[in-house]
Amino acid sequence: MSNQRKRLTGEREDEDDEDAEGIGEWERAYVDDRSWEELQEDESGLLRPIDNSAIYHAQYRRRLRMLSAAAAGTRIQKGLIRYLYIVIDFSRAAAEMDFRPSRIAVMAKHIEAFIREFFDQNPLSQIGLVSIKNGVAHTLTDLGGSPETHIKALMGKLEALGDSSLQNALELVNEHLSQVPSYGHREVLILYSALCTCDPGDIMETIQKCKKSKLRCSVIGLSAEMFICKHLCQETGGLYSVAVDEVHLKDLLLEHAPPPPAIAEFAIANLIKMGFPQRAAEGSMAICSCHKEVKIGAGYMCPRCKARVCDLPTECTICGLTLVSSPHLARSYHHLFPIAPFDEVPAFSSLNDSRRTLGKSCFGCQQSLIGTGNKPGPCVTCRKCKHYFCLDCDIYIHESLHNCPGCESIHRPKSVSLMEE
Amino acid sequence: MIFKIEDVTVYFPYDNIYPEQYEYMVELKRTLDAKGHCLLEMPTGTGKTIALLSLITSYRLSRPDSPIKLVYCTRTVHEMEKTLAELKVLHDYQVLHLGTQAKILAIGLSSRKNLCVNTKVLAAENRDSVDAACRKRTASWVRALSTENPNIELCDYFENYEKAAENALLPPGVYTLEDLRAFGKNRGWCPYFLARHMVQFANVIVYSYQYLLDPKVAGIISKELQKESVVVFDEAHNIDNVCIEALSVSVRRVTLEGANRNLNKIREEIDRSKATDAGRLRAEYNRLVEGLALRGDLSGGDQWLANPALPHDILKEAVPGNIRRAEHFVHVLRRLLQYLGVRLDTENVEKESPVSFVSSLNSQAGIEQKTLKFCYDRLQSLMLTLEITDTDEFLPIQTVCDFATLVGTYARGFSIIIEPYDERMPHIPDPILQLSCHDASLAIKPVFDRFQSVVITSGTLSPIDLYPRLLSFTPVVSRSFKMSMTRDCICPMVLTRGSDQLPVSTKFDMRSDPGVVRNYGKLLVEMVSIVPDGVVCFFVSYSYMDGIIATWNETGILKEIMQQKLVFIETQDVVETTLALDNYRRACDCGRGAVFFSVARGKVAEGIDFDRHYGRLVVMYGVPFQYTLSKILLARLEYLRDTFQIKEGDFLTFDALRQAAQCVGRVIRSKADYGMMIFADKRYSRHDKRSKLPGWILSHLRDAHLNLSTDMAIHIAREFLRKMAQPYDKTGTMGRKTLLTQEDLEKMAETGVQDMAY
Repeated sequence: MSNQRKRLTGEREDEDDEDAEGIGEWERAYVDDRSWEELQEDESGLLRPIDNSAIYHAQYRRRLRMLSAAAAGTRIQKGLIRYLYIVIDFSRAAAEMDFRPSRIAVMAKHIEAFIREFFDQNPLSQIGLVSIKNGVAHTLTDLGGSPETHIKALMGKLEALGDSSLQNALELVNEHLSQVPSYGHREVLILYSALCTCDPGDIMETIQKCKKSKLRCSVIGLSAEMFICKHLCQETGGLYSVAVDEVHLKDLLLEHAPPPPAIAEFAIANLIKMGFPQRAAEGSMAICSCHKEVKIGAGYMCPRCKARVCDLPTECTICGLTLVSSPHLARSYHHLFPIAPFDEVPAFSSLNDSRRTLGKSCFGCQQSLIGTGNKPGPCVTCRKCKHYFCLDCDIYIHESLHNCPGCESIHRPKSVSLMEE
Repeated sequence: MIFKIEDVTVYFPYDNIYPEQYEYMVELKRTLDAKGHCLLEMPTGTGKTIALLSLITSYRLSRPDSPIKLVYCTRTVHEMEKTLAELKVLHDYQVLHLGTQAKILAIGLSSRKNLCVNTKVLAAENRDSVDAACRKRTASWVRALSTENPNIELCDYFENYEKAAENALLPPGVYTLEDLRAFGKNRGWCPYFLARHMVQFANVIVYSYQYLLDPKVAGIISKELQKESVVVFDEAHNIDNVCIEALSVSVRRVTLEGANRNLNKIREEIDRSKATDAGRLRAEYNRLVEGLALRGDLSGGDQWLANPALPHDILKEAVPGNIRRAEHFVHVLRRLLQYLGVRLDTENVEKESPVSFVSSLNSQAGIEQKTLKFCYDRLQSLMLTLEITDTDEFLPIQTVCDFATLVGTYARGFSIIIEPYDERMPHIPDPILQLSCHDASLAIKPVFDRFQSVVITSGTLSPIDLYPRLLSFTPVVSRSFKMSMTRDCICPMVLTRGSDQLPVSTKFDMRSDPGVVRNYGKLLVEMVSIVPDGVVCFFVSYSYMDGIIATWNETGILKEIMQQKLVFIETQDVVETTLALDNYRRACDCGRGAVFFSVARGKVAEGIDFDRHYGRLVVMYGVPFQYTLSKILLARLEYLRDTFQIKEGDFLTFDALRQAAQCVGRVIRSKADYGMMIFADKRYSRHDKRSKLPGWILSHLRDAHLNLSTDMAIHIAREFLRKMAQPYDKTGTMGRKTLLTQEDLEKMAETGVQDMAY
């Protein structure tokens, strides 16, 4: 591993020395990829791709530690019911081509992915879209729980024009969000591609107003760091980041999918009335209350007023009840009780311990943990059940499964008591 | 943290130290050990001031038997305050660890304008009138008169201070100007006179360059400093110019007219005092005859501006006979004024050496050299005798006497240049007679001779070997330190071509070429669209800036810039510029973004920081050479070539490049900061120019960035800004250690400094 790291830093130096300016655009793709450097000669002289999984895993673990660091000491409250406005800057700067094919297309693509991921992780939350164009902020969609409507509205309006105004956007969002119920968490995520903001008034006042109404503002910049954005995020407790390239932009966006820690003074416990509608019987015909269309089958029935709705989660248009399905609630649950990060097993202790006690395979996928050359490969262990896992399973367990197979198989009869911990 | 450098225990008020700060201290300590002078270059933003203060005060603590005094010279009052604030932190830390024995007295000293607490005196608008207003209330004869006539207004603060006499002392501590004023107000003592009195007792004195370099002032303020002092000149890259200005005088027609009026008034005063109190003039005459006092110190307490020439240059001579009597002296001055008036009437540019000037003065006006030499002293003495308090009105005659004394004293290193009009505006007659000093070493020589160690330090002292020659001294240590950085937070680029591949330059034959102007404009248009917040542009001169902005306006380039950012321009008017700067900052703060057009060698380039978002990019348009046809510059170049063997070209390049470095250095003020610098001129790519940039810029100037066109620069800037916007890791990783802890230092002390990780 240390060998590999040295190689990696060596590579970076090479890249620095490389005169990257004197080349044409057509060659740059090869320089950026440097596909030949992803090969490595093994003992027998065969070319093999470099095994980067260890490095990826290290990156992942750093991220995980960062997330759990805050949660480690005290049990942190998280806002599961979020009202998020996504503000997209469609000003002149969004037409720039430094992201291929253009910033605007790339933004739209990744916001689409983000919306889907967001509803996957926060089934109880709602999103609204706002765009800035010609110095004016427009509402694309109102708050709602259906990803499809947002995506449709977003894709319909892809053109970049005029100046950008942060203040107008914040004022608009603030106005919209002032009506949401008090238990919900108000957030704005701004994708900002311009480098200046033409405001009608004093933006500092608007920032203070946002702060007062507990609006958490986060900004993702597409070109460079702007002081005012940084200031806004610092004041309102949001995150500010600037995307280096497309992949980074995607990562930064997805960082906003899991619910953020709740603002302390705001986090009061509250009882919310919810309905769990049943899926309407196949073949029964009804007019749905959301689209005003006659539909056969498909859809849910509000338990209070029996109105038909197409998608969950949503709010019943007739009686205003929050409608969710139980899997949605269950999916939100893991945010409150994340599984602790697994401990890394040091290379040589695994030589003695892991082999002796547990054999050589991962508890999750039953693959051998012995790497090439009969050396023990990198692996991790759960603090509670002491089972060993390979790196792939580690990522899978923490990011998708949210349950430790080891703990689950041991504690199954006492799972109730576990939940109470 | 507390650590040892060789045998000195250093008290440093922060938990971590940069490696270059440590090295800086080591070199400084060796200088102090050797009791010699040193030149140290360290980039701004690396904590130069605190390293310096903490080492010197710690050095003092470690040698209790021979306490050294620290004299710290700054250029501006603002810097003075910053230094004292840092010293306060340090002092608190030392007292915390060592108890009361570490207590020191540190004061800042400034002019009456900054220190006075008397509201009536402060009402005067400029420095000279504040001085005069103060004298009107504190001069000894005014005070003597007031005992008889209670209507005469005095300054209560000064009276209280005088009453307290020997007991008027400051308790140990660090006093900023603000603290001094507060203390003075509280006790009812005059802070200005108190501070001046305390100079001889203080352990640390922070004041302006002039108090040491300008012989007129230095004689009064700094004469009581002991030899065991360490003198520090901070931000000293322009120290040669300061020295030269201290000994240069220019006389215009207005000056002569004013001087004539002054003489008339003096004449009246003489007549009046003859009528009322003839004894006083006689007493002064007698004193001068006896040669007892060079200056007619009439009543002890009043200290006046001393001789503008250097103390050692005036031998212990008595005032020559022909000017001892007041009337005679006035006659001599009249003849001198007449002669100067005739010389100013010339049609041609004239250049003369002081020797020939004095001899022609002697033959035509009958004033000999020795008489000239004593003009300034004699005038001061006369004004004291005549009890003149509104000294600000007498500035013209003082200027003329100053001129006379300098001409009379120095035969070498000066020249007299008479120009009938300004070179750039030949149709407006504006005759000016300049006595310009060419030799920077004249003014600073007594400082080097008198004090044990002189430290000259700045962010830009490159090439470092030229300074000892210009100032003619031998440093025991001269070193340039690099900045250790966790990331490459500066990005210098040399732009040689526009996007159409035509070279750009402000060379004389190219600067008005429309292609160059357009390319410069396009560069800025492109840059403002990719750089956030603040952008600063420096031009080589006001006239060039005016010209290029006018052209940009016509061709619509300015409009394109305004779409992205607001535009602010530095003018020669200080108030206007301050206002522009203020609004520039506001535009940067609120996210609108702004461009500031400024001039190299201007006020903004010298004293204003464009740190953080106030300056993400600085564009240096052209190489800021001095106006090479200026007679004064030519004379100075000639002198430098003959005396110090410094080639004209070398000196000009050195001077231009230090200005350029000074301009671009404005953007980075700390390690967490980042900024880009674009040198937009093809001449920067030449080795002889480039190599004169300071090391900390050069080390970041990669070969690939030496010969860029606009589009390449845009590409680099984009990547750089993205990279810098990523979260900043303070401690540094990957073996580049930039923050040292106590343990690191101890380890280093064992293995030697050389192993330091960069």
